[in-house]
Amino acid sequence: MSDLRELWEFVTTASNWWGLNGIANRTWAHVRLSAFAAVVATVLALPPAVVLGHLRRGGLLAVSIVNVGRAIPSFGVLALALPFSIQWGFGLGFWPTFVALVLLGVPPIFTNAYTGVREVDRGVVESAYGMGMAPHQVLLGVELPTALPLVLAGIRVSSVQIVATATLGAYVGYQCLGSFIVEGLASFDDGKLLTGAVLVALLAVVTEVALGLLQRAVTPWSRARATLGRPPRATGAPIPVPVP
Amino acid sequence: MKRFPVLFAVLMAFALVAAACGDDDEPSGNQNTTTSGASVPDGPTITIGAQDFGESAILAQVYGQALEAAGYDVDYQALGGFRDLVFSSFENGDINLTAEYAASALEFLNEQAGEATADAQETTDALNGYLTDRGLRATAPSPAVDSNSFVVTQETADSLGLASVSDLAGHDDLTLGGPPDCPTNPFCIPGLQDKYGIDFSDRFVSLDGGGPLTVEALQGDEIKVAILFSTSGVIADEGWVVLEDDQGLINADNVVPVLSDELVDAYGEALVGLLDSISAALTTDELTELNRRFEIDKEDADAIAADWLEGEGLA
Amino acid sequence: MTARVLANGPDSFVWWAWVGDHLDDVRDRTVEHVQLTLWAVGIGLVIAMALATLSLRFRWTYGPITWATGVLYTIPSIALFFFLVPILGLGFRTALIPLVSYTLLILVRNIVEGVDGVPEAVKEAADGMGYEPWRRFVSVDLRLATPAIVAGVRIASVTIVGLVTVTALVGAGGYGAFITDGLSRRFSTPIVVGTTLSVALAVVLDVALVIVERLLTPWARRGVAVR
Repeated sequence: MSDLRELWEFVTTASNWWGLNGIANRTWAHVRLSAFAAVVATVLALPPAVVLGHLRRGGLLAVSIVNVGRAIPSFGVLALALPFSIQWGFGLGFWPTFVALVLLGVPPIFTNAYTGVREVDRGVVESAYGMGMAPHQVLLGVELPTALPLVLAGIRVSSVQIVATATLGAYVGYQCLGSFIVEGLASFDDGKLLTGAVLVALLAVVTEVALGLLQRAVTPWSRARATLGRPPRATGAPIPVPVP
Repeated sequence: MKRFPVLFAVLMAFALVAAACGDDDEPSGNQNTTTSGASVPDGPTITIGAQDFGESAILAQVYGQALEAAGYDVDYQALGGFRDLVFSSFENGDINLTAEYAASALEFLNEQAGEATADAQETTDALNGYLTDRGLRATAPSPAVDSNSFVVTQETADSLGLASVSDLAGHDDLTLGGPPDCPTNPFCIPGLQDKYGIDFSDRFVSLDGGGPLTVEALQGDEIKVAILFSTSGVIADEGWVVLEDDQGLINADNVVPVLSDELVDAYGEALVGLLDSISAALTTDELTELNRRFEIDKEDADAIAADWLEGEGLA
Repeated sequence: MTARVLANGPDSFVWWAWVGDHLDDVRDRTVEHVQLTLWAVGIGLVIAMALATLSLRFRWTYGPITWATGVLYTIPSIALFFFLVPILGLGFRTALIPLVSYTLLILVRNIVEGVDGVPEAVKEAADGMGYEPWRRFVSVDLRLATPAIVAGVRIASVTIVGLVTVTALVGAGGYGAFITDGLSRRFSTPIVVGTTLSVALAVVLDVALVIVERLLTPWARRGVAVR
């Protein structure tokens, strides 16, 4: 197919890799923004989720957060964030995209962490208390480690969605992989367009695989079982986010 | 119990109904009413293509409503923002009339051979050379021009003494913000390289085609030089400086209607004459004002066009 | 000065008059958005059913099917939309295919796990009552797996509604067209309209599916008689 040939030609032309708008720089920009957004989303979501899960409170909140979060279109949030970002002196590009990505990333992390901590086997938790551990020790020493697979799975799902959606940043001026797509569309340059699309896809897959390996390395004793979208159980715990 | 398949069928039926309803293109104007005296021969419906930006929608409405008032059957077709689509839509018969820009259309068709000049008629004639092969024809160009212009803030112009595009040479730290096709558009980065010997390719930020992103980037000092369209009302509003095109990079991007031979055959010179009179009435200043109403007052393209035509006595 | 700030107009966050004037556009965009969503989830469900049935009948295929749909799920729909543009151009089909591929993993897994979740005892009882394998599969297994299946359809539908807004960038319309209009002229009203309607539609679909689930599982409402 001639499109694939154009893609090949674009990617194998050295001058397309370097410079301000080259593949290397834009990929880095894409990774930089995604990683930052993922970290901030984790920092915002994890502590409250873990604490609430430990206290076995706020189940309804956890369910709602992920349901509402799923319903909010990132493209809309991005477009809405733009004028505010400009008004408050944060400019175009990076910051409005950042806001949209953090908003996107919080729900899966929150819900998985909450469910993970809350669903720890009561017997185990009670033995821990029985051994004289204080609540915070139980949380940090027993519940959190046990919940780790699910927590990491949530971060993984979140990160992949963030990497994918960062592409839209190009529509509000952020120079990233999405910019190849926008430029390619505008100049009917299929090679450039496909380069952008393929690189985003690759980056998403790499993120998924890398974090999956990390998950396995950190929690060798278990694999995050997919509890995909089953109806809420009697405990009232929310449905964890799909884990592919 | 057969509920499950039944409900599934209901859902699919709903989807099919929605599909059927959704496929109806709402033609905005399909009257066959004639104005006093004018009689229009039977012929194909005129389908006007409008690209994905305000000015294109406004121009489509301007020509369309004037034609409707004269008794023609008119329909509108929204296209994506890309010139590629315009010509392939002509090819497969989706549209048979559109408002194009002489120099840009010419350079698109001749694959950037550089034939466009600053003379509108010359450029249009050259354009027609390429259009005949495609069964198309460009009528007389309008005096209204919408081309790229290189804009800097008053502060930048003052502090660096910039008055023309040539003055940009030697200032290697200035960033350029412009439309996403700038890296390959002959009236953009390659043109600046050719005519002015200035290479912006490593100092370019791709934003939008003279839209709010570019405006905001210049306002926020995130870029130093912005590519805006000459019919954009913001330039005067902000007191920005348009750098003079002293090497003649920008050519005659006059508005020019392009229509299919089929339409010319069906309606003859009466149609061409009407298009010419509409084109002649349109000036750059007026087009700028129409754009301003769309971009700043957020009015709708059809309302803006209707007002202008009424003012001109064309509808 | 105060009057200008307070007056509702083009520069307000939401210019109500504009909304009122453009209700016909709202209707058109809604039809486009709903169409794309229903087609995507509908086709996805049909394909997922086929794949799930295959997985349940031939267990060894479940692994590869999960892997394949997982890859499709991971490849961002956003990237896929643009990947298809050179091949299929702009429009409905370019939008539809990535949306369908996105739903497959969720739906296949939910169907399979839903059916697996049906107690063996029930399946055996049905067999014992004389159900042929296919009839049992449809009338017993799938029916009892309905909550899991509907849960998957809900997740898929809500996510798809959000993704459809992005399809405006490849010419497929929907509420995203309001967002692109607003972006192209620094006009917040259509962006607010587009975003809000997208959320509203997602909620409506979710609620509708909950109702569908209730209708399909009348036994759940009757509850267990043992006190």
